[in-house]
Amino acid sequence: MRIRVDTELCQGHGRCYMLAPDLFDADDDGYSQPTVERTVGPELADQARRAFMNCPEDAIILTEETR
Amino acid sequence: MTDAVPQSRYTLERPEEAIDPQSIYRDLRDNAPVVQLSGRSTTGTITISRHEDVMSALRTPDVYSSDSSAVQIGNIRPLVPLQVDPPHHSKHRKALDPLFAPKQMVKYEPRVRELIRELIDEVADQGHCNFHEAIAEPLPSTIFLELLGLPVSRVDEFLALKDGIIRPPARSLEERYEMVKATGQKIYAVLEEVVEARMAERQDDFLSTIIDAKVDGQPLSRDDVVDIGYLFFLAGLDTVSASLECIVAYLAQNPGHRQRVADDPAVIPHAIEELLRYESPVPVVPRITATETEVAGCPISAGSRITVLLGSANTDERFWDNPNEVDFDRESNKHLGFGGGVHRCLGSHLARMELRVALEEWHARVPDYRLADGLELRYSPGIRQIDNLELVW
Repeated sequence: MRIRVDTELCQGHGRCYMLAPDLFDADDDGYSQPTVERTVGPELADQARRAFMNCPEDAIILTEETR
Repeated sequence: MTDAVPQSRYTLERPEEAIDPQSIYRDLRDNAPVVQLSGRSTTGTITISRHEDVMSALRTPDVYSSDSSAVQIGNIRPLVPLQVDPPHHSKHRKALDPLFAPKQMVKYEPRVRELIRELIDEVADQGHCNFHEAIAEPLPSTIFLELLGLPVSRVDEFLALKDGIIRPPARSLEERYEMVKATGQKIYAVLEEVVEARMAERQDDFLSTIIDAKVDGQPLSRDDVVDIGYLFFLAGLDTVSASLECIVAYLAQNPGHRQRVADDPAVIPHAIEELLRYESPVPVVPRITATETEVAGCPISAGSRITVLLGSANTDERFWDNPNEVDFDRESNKHLGFGGGVHRCLGSHLARMELRVALEEWHARVPDYRLADGLELRYSPGIRQIDNLELVW
């Protein structure tokens, strides 16, 4: 699974870093980091899905990888 | 011209409509997703109520402008950054975002906790209180005046000014306009006095920080600082109070939900998000169309005043599973309680922190409470304050 924040869409609601603190953090302005796509291991897959399902702006891009 | 848009019997300004807005929202979504309101102060205003249409309005500021003609709140210049459209909006917003970032809020949490404990101490042993007067109004207004840098000793005067804009006791649109304008002049006078003093000598407060902020490498003008202060004055003195009241009123009437919050403080952040969704204490945001547009097949002309119903989007069956069920474990909660798009509530992280700390401390001291016998809650139209929130325990 791969995940990133679309900075064009992110408005700093902060739902992702509240629900998925091991994957996301707030920058000094309150907007979500990281904005570069990263791979999510199985141990954080639940957090990734929760962040994806709770972003009011649909700014989280989540790609399920097929092997 | 708004001839093509049908008329509604709803006004969204009558107190009886504010008690159970969720059923009005549903009626609007199902039967009149684009409609003109018929109230004294809302006549000709077009509401849009479906989640899809609300989201689209929030996301297209070039069509749905937030400029100062969208709403009458006593100001003579646009409030900054709320009434500034992109691209200028983002420059001002960028200067202000760090003030309200989650990392900053951590610093203020001990003071919020200290103040809420003092307020609870005043009432905990008496077995009853008016929660609006004792807790929900003094907590956020004191914190906000301290942060902004306005004298807390004048809190009653400032609350009266804020109410003079948000809920003036007017009997006609003309009277409302005059009242709001006169109150606006008083708010400008207060702000100009304080901004003048801070320009001469900085203190450790938001106004001093804003005076030293740079936009495009240039300091803000004196008017800009006052216009930011005017927005903060209205936004900071009302919305958190109303949110805390809506949340506590719900919990007081739903013992299962209340018990869960009392038993497990870890659920409080989720309870806050879910009740901000369901109750939508700030149920609408105003916009004005900059161009012709169309919503749900209905043409809307340029220059139309639009009431974007966040509260309705937050309970739209087309978007949510079981929207009328309050579920603290809701798996997907993309609520618009803080709005959305570029004007997403600047103070949302402050609001969340204040609500969380208040609910933690209240339930630690008063875990078991309910509404006073026979009480009929009085929700104000617009921002949903409940001034008669009498609790017993």
